[in-house]
Amino acid sequence: MSWQRYLLAFVITAAIFGTAFYAASQFDATRVADIRATEQAISIDILSNETQYDLLSNLSCQTLSQNSGLTDELNTLASQLSVEENNLGSSNAEVVQLKEQYSLLEIKDYLLMQQISQKCGIKTVYVLYFYSNSGSCPQCGAAGDVLTYLRETYPGLRIYSFDYDLDLSALKTLESLLKVKGQLPAFVINDRAPIYGFKDLGDMQKLIPELKTMATTTATTSKQ
Amino acid sequence: MDAGAYGVLCCLFVALYFEVFLLISFFEKRPAGKSRELPRHYPTVTMIVPCFNEERTLGKTVESLLALEYPADKLDIFIVDDGSRDQTPAIGAALARAHPAQVRYARKENGGKYTALNWGIEHSQGELIGCLDADSFVAPDGLIEMVKSFESDANIFAITPAMKVYRPRKMLELMQAVEYTFGIFYKKMFDNISAINVLPGPFSMYRREVFKRIGLFRHAHNTEDMEIAFRMHAHGLKIANAHTAVVYTTVPPSMRALIKQRTRWSQGFLQNSLDYAYMYFNPRFGHFGLLVLPFALAAFFAGLYVAGYALFTFIRMIETKLANFIASGVPAHLPSVSHFSWYYLNTSTLTLLIITTLAMTLVAILLGARIANARLGVKAFASYFFLFGLIAPLWLARALVGALRARDAAWR
Repeated sequence: MSWQRYLLAFVITAAIFGTAFYAASQFDATRVADIRATEQAISIDILSNETQYDLLSNLSCQTLSQNSGLTDELNTLASQLSVEENNLGSSNAEVVQLKEQYSLLEIKDYLLMQQISQKCGIKTVYVLYFYSNSGSCPQCGAAGDVLTYLRETYPGLRIYSFDYDLDLSALKTLESLLKVKGQLPAFVINDRAPIYGFKDLGDMQKLIPELKTMATTTATTSKQ
Repeated sequence: MDAGAYGVLCCLFVALYFEVFLLISFFEKRPAGKSRELPRHYPTVTMIVPCFNEERTLGKTVESLLALEYPADKLDIFIVDDGSRDQTPAIGAALARAHPAQVRYARKENGGKYTALNWGIEHSQGELIGCLDADSFVAPDGLIEMVKSFESDANIFAITPAMKVYRPRKMLELMQAVEYTFGIFYKKMFDNISAINVLPGPFSMYRREVFKRIGLFRHAHNTEDMEIAFRMHAHGLKIANAHTAVVYTTVPPSMRALIKQRTRWSQGFLQNSLDYAYMYFNPRFGHFGLLVLPFALAAFFAGLYVAGYALFTFIRMIETKLANFIASGVPAHLPSVSHFSWYYLNTSTLTLLIITTLAMTLVAILLGARIANARLGVKAFASYFFLFGLIAPLWLARALVGALRARDAAWR
């Protein structure tokens, strides 16, 4: 009986497992680094826009509005964060930190866009969406699907989603300013009073009458 | 990762360990190619063909035996009809009349395959006893290769062949063709570690002495070919594999027939495992007791567990998606792929390990194909990798229920 063969097989199998764990963690680390880089880039863009805003007297509204389109980047970041949250778990310290940073970027983008819109008279529609992944909001998944569909259909619609469970002082301040309480999902549309509870696509379209005048994507429109 | 996924990781560890063990065995002792040497001595051989309602294939099976490159006066072909109710008796009798010097036909009361085999053993004289299911066909040099293997080691008491699927055409047959090729690899590796666990009906051969030492075939929950292998290990009788002795066997072409056949095999394994429980983890029985038996049992339950977990996860995902879809009122549309990048690929530990396990299985199949010079197309591989994992849990579950109820599965 060659016990060495049993031992060797165990060592090789353990090495394969170790390699798989290491490779998976490296893939995750690369993803986290990507998210960080994206957040960094968005942060610089926002800072740039803020600076430009401060220098508004020297810039035209056209220049500002052209440079303030961070929605796509934020949306990509959101989907990347969602992947990482799935991989590492929503309680992972790295994920929580990335989400906090993402939320801050969203708030800053939201505030800046509000200011630019007012100054330049741009009609923008904002939806602030508060959700939870902790299991206390079983309908948040369906609410997210509705908002994703609306965002894809109306590229001009600016949707900012916030994890209500994040312990982030800026987010808590925003919630208290907007008078958002614990009932989820919650929506704040164009600074109007918060709306609580799940709303399907039809309800949501009624709650945002501004959508009627917004441009839609050709592809999605043809599907409707 | 949820708790269930950790269970899948454990199953993968066992599967990988086993594959690694067999690959080590392969690199330690690679199977030699076919030699042109002839046996020094031609022992008398009795090939028993047990049959029950085999009118479609019996003629071709016997023809393949008559075409064997072996001295005719040393080869006795014995068709034992286990009370067939179709044209098998007429075909068997006609074959015996046409080849009176070599072919004998006998009909007995129906009693099950093992009784037909025992009847053949008791009413024959060959030094070597071969069994050939009446739906299988031996390659012309198959017997010579077997005899050469017996000649190579006086301690070899039984030999299994390399089994290939006869003319696979349908998806299910192609799937089984790949599975049998995988079988060629692990049978040879089991031979390397003296742990062959079954002597299949198509063309396994025994020294007559085996039956004198340990007795004849038993009912053994309709898996007499498995039980005799267990019993031989229990008595320290060596079993080898002759990978150069090729036999082609017909396989179930329909899902129903396949599940019925595999349920019988799997249930037989469980019930024989209970009968021979003392061999598990017993170093007295070498790699058979320490590795092959425990792994086969672990694989049985791991297969059920992984299938159950995958089904549960899939149903839960569909349920959530469907509930969200119905609740949201969003029209059906394909997900946007405009932002697709490597970022969204699943590179979790579990996925990487599943890919590694499948890759090693592919390597084992390709080695099996090289050992037995088998050719497999892309369609066959696709059938195996897509279908086997979906179908196998069905017979595993049925076998478990059958074993728990201690109800024997039918052999025909």
